[in-house]
Amino acid sequence: MSRIEQFSYDNSIVRKFAIASVIFGVIGMLVGLLLALQLVFPELNFGISYTTFGRIRPLHTNAVIFAFVGNGIFMGVYYSLQRLLKTPMYSKLLSNIHFWGWQAIILAAAITLPLGITSSHEYAELEWPIDIAIALIWVVFGINMFGTILKRRETHLYVAIWFYIATWITVTILHIFNNLELPVTLTKSYPVFAGVQDALVQWWYGHNAVAFFLTTPYLGLMYYFLPKAANRPVYSYRLSIIHFWALIFIYIWAGPHHLLYTSLPDWAQSLGMVFSLMLIAPSWGGMLNGLLTLRGAWDRVRNDPILKFMVVAVTAYGMSTFEGPMMSIKSFNAITHYTDWTIAHVHVGALGWNGMLTFGVLYWILPKIYNTQLFSKRLANAHFWMGTTGIILYAVPLYWAGVTQQLMWKQFTPEGFLQYTNFLETVTQIIPMYAIRAVGGLLFFAGLFVMMYNLWKTMRQGQFQASESAQAPARVKHVPHKGEYWHRWIERRSVQMSILALIAIAIGGLVEILPMMWVDSNVPKIATVQPYTPLELEGRDLYIREGCVGCHSQMIRPFRSETERYGDYSKSGEFIYDRPFLWGSKRTGPDLHRVGGKYPDAWHYNHMLAPAVVSNGSIMPAYPWMFTDDLNTSSLEKKIEVLQTLGTPYPSGFAQQAEADLRKQAQEIAKSLQENDISLENTYAELGKTIQPSDKLENKEIIALIAYLQRLGTDISKLKAPKAQN
Amino acid sequence: MKTRFLKTTFLLGWLSVLPALLAAQDNTTSNPNFYNDFYAYLLASITAVVFVAVLWVLVHLLNIIVKTNELRIYQEQGMEAYLAERAAPKKPFWQRWYRSMTDAVPVAKEADILLAHDHDGIQELDNNLPPWWVAMFYITIAIGVVYFGYYHFSDYGMSSAEAYAQEMEYAEREREAFLARQANKVNESNVEPLTEATALAHGETIFQATCATCHGQLGEGNAGPNLTDNYWLHGGSIKDVFKTIKYGVPAKGMIAWKDQMSPSDMHKVASYIMTLQGTDPPNQKPPQGDIYEPNASGSIDSGKSNGVLGSVTK
Repeated sequence: MSRIEQFSYDNSIVRKFAIASVIFGVIGMLVGLLLALQLVFPELNFGISYTTFGRIRPLHTNAVIFAFVGNGIFMGVYYSLQRLLKTPMYSKLLSNIHFWGWQAIILAAAITLPLGITSSHEYAELEWPIDIAIALIWVVFGINMFGTILKRRETHLYVAIWFYIATWITVTILHIFNNLELPVTLTKSYPVFAGVQDALVQWWYGHNAVAFFLTTPYLGLMYYFLPKAANRPVYSYRLSIIHFWALIFIYIWAGPHHLLYTSLPDWAQSLGMVFSLMLIAPSWGGMLNGLLTLRGAWDRVRNDPILKFMVVAVTAYGMSTFEGPMMSIKSFNAITHYTDWTIAHVHVGALGWNGMLTFGVLYWILPKIYNTQLFSKRLANAHFWMGTTGIILYAVPLYWAGVTQQLMWKQFTPEGFLQYTNFLETVTQIIPMYAIRAVGGLLFFAGLFVMMYNLWKTMRQGQFQASESAQAPARVKHVPHKGEYWHRWIERRSVQMSILALIAIAIGGLVEILPMMWVDSNVPKIATVQPYTPLELEGRDLYIREGCVGCHSQMIRPFRSETERYGDYSKSGEFIYDRPFLWGSKRTGPDLHRVGGKYPDAWHYNHMLAPAVVSNGSIMPAYPWMFTDDLNTSSLEKKIEVLQTLGTPYPSGFAQQAEADLRKQAQEIAKSLQENDISLENTYAELGKTIQPSDKLENKEIIALIAYLQRLGTDISKLKAPKAQN
Repeated sequence: MKTRFLKTTFLLGWLSVLPALLAAQDNTTSNPNFYNDFYAYLLASITAVVFVAVLWVLVHLLNIIVKTNELRIYQEQGMEAYLAERAAPKKPFWQRWYRSMTDAVPVAKEADILLAHDHDGIQELDNNLPPWWVAMFYITIAIGVVYFGYYHFSDYGMSSAEAYAQEMEYAEREREAFLARQANKVNESNVEPLTEATALAHGETIFQATCATCHGQLGEGNAGPNLTDNYWLHGGSIKDVFKTIKYGVPAKGMIAWKDQMSPSDMHKVASYIMTLQGTDPPNQKPPQGDIYEPNASGSIDSGKSNGVLGSVTK
């Protein structure tokens, strides 16, 4: 026996992350609630650019994922890691840099996203300077975590830490590769990948952000806090091993299930689908080990709100990890994709699994570090029921809405025409369900305040222990004994374990992504597809700024119901100049890939000015500022040059002519609008603004947006002879 | 224990639906009614789950009968006879099957499998992997291999593009068969205005859903021209209007509706538009095109030929 050493755990960093998690939970969900209400009452967009749906949707997702859950992860990791390794964190300074750095990043996100500064990659919207900051802070966290692991007193690493390690490695790789972009200005960049490649890399990232930011670290938390709260041994050590390695290996492959029936080559879609199916068992391994750990403690679940939160969290995890693979089956995906089913699915995961587990952990940790009991079990129980009912009220109407809408999209008359030719009919049909969803969200949100009061009272009645003294024997060299389980070997070797985890998560990504980069036949070229004109390019960047992609897809799937409604299905060769790709993942409005030429310029003008007037009952917000703000072309030259560097074949010297080219096209569009009785004077009068002599129609942002919309999906129709097959 | 068994049965029930869903993939393309039948599929799977649940209840009832019989023997013949009775029969099949599928060491005996691991007080048991879970893992892997082989290494699986082509072909056949049964042959040379109220009401519904965005809800005009005055860009007879709806004027933004609207619907909406003449709604768009005299003739080019009276505004 080695000598006993005295040391102390740092609780202040845990408290900081706990408080940050609660605060950003409130903010993130408040924005979510506003979004839910905007779908029922479009006036709640307030006619202000900073609060329109398209701009604050990414604010909501980023706040919930990276601020609420992110701080929740760090709270749990900083608490459990020290105790599982019997050592304080490697460096208190790094802990604090990590904390304040992360909050600064969140602040930067909260400022830039409403301003429309976005890269448009879902869950990776933040622009390049913030991406770099995230990478740096993540490395600080990594050094701190691995430093702690290396100086540990425990010989073996517990399963929770395996999950923490896999999380850190994978998120690092995902973040770097999905944010490879070339800066134009401080607030604008273009990604190095275009079109299909960009889509594949993005969803390799997007899916695994769910896997390695919302799932694996939380499984780690579950493995620590659930047995602790239940005071029961973990059900099966062998199950932990098998499901851990299977989970991290298989998860990486599943990204393409976000791109089923798109222009992604079939082989990649199939890989995404079959690996998603194989994910059921590894995911359920975690659920089983959680629920079965409670064997012999179910009587306590009845009395202990903390266990209740955990049980619902683990059950929600099991439900969404079964539902996810089902949604990855192509025939089922054809019904659920682009609808609110997906929204319901992710919220069962986010509210149920991440939310409820975070609450359970908060209720467990805060009394511990304040050396007291939870202030009120009754309030915690009330919160539990508000949360659970909230989730049900949130999810069920959206499942219903999703199926309803998709069936309406696909309904044909016997004469062979679409039954609901007007997309809007399928939207107005489900607005009542949007309203119920908002009520569910409100209930869940209100529960947060019950929790805050309860935790506040708990903190008031206790005494905070900033550092908690502990003792443990120093680590001695381990002598493997005969008959021990083979996996114990790797549990003693953090470096080898990290390398193995790296190999496990690298394989899937390499097999799927590299052929897409190297094998040209994966993206057949189309002769008539040309780069965007300068005006269209600026219009496209406005489309990105306003977050149109949040509600409109640009990907027509090869179904009769879609080609009848939107036009020929989308081909991969049409997107080769799209940086970033804008295929979207949800159709709150119709697909726009072939909207070019479908309506007159004047229609777009009137529609963007007052969507509900042009399309009675439309829930699309108005964009009045695009009619009063002049298009900013100050970085146009740089944009063209950056795109040339990335391989877009603009002729050399084009950057210098771009401005003139833009003005010429803008004048043509302005002329066509004026011929249709549109005048800026009338528009200003309608908006209640005073027009200045310097205000000219052709200089306004709306002109660029119209140019882009009218170009969408039209290049392929310039092919002279119809293509032979496919 | 029992609730867990129920849960397992329920979930296995869902798993049994999985192959059906996989098979359905070909159906989506070959059978355009697949999504109409979706509720039927759902109902069938729910029935399957209910069926399994009923089976379980029956087995459970059987157990209770056996138990009461044992109790009766105990009361009537004493402990020894009871024990003999208990030892005699084997456990029911379902119970044995459930045991073998879960393979968990009971809580009371778990000290036997408690590992010597201690992570901040957390201990670990050495329970076997649940056999049903292992089976599920193998089944999903097998499905994955078979699926990928079928679609990418055999000649049978269709690509997305082939499936689409087949879906379109099938739909076209269905459509032709339907049209052959219908006297749905209205065209621009034989069309006459409808007058029945129901047909006009239907025409109005179509108008509001598809035309009103550009032509205004009262036909007063917006991005598209005014339909209530007697000035027409492409002719004002029912035959002209029908033709404009059918083939559109793509250069000016008017969509060709022939691929999205049936002849009978175009007939109704054209008839409805004819009723808008002279309604004089507010906010009218100024006249465009040539004036049209209804009594002139019904021929397609009547509007154009009537150039004497035509006053082109703008």
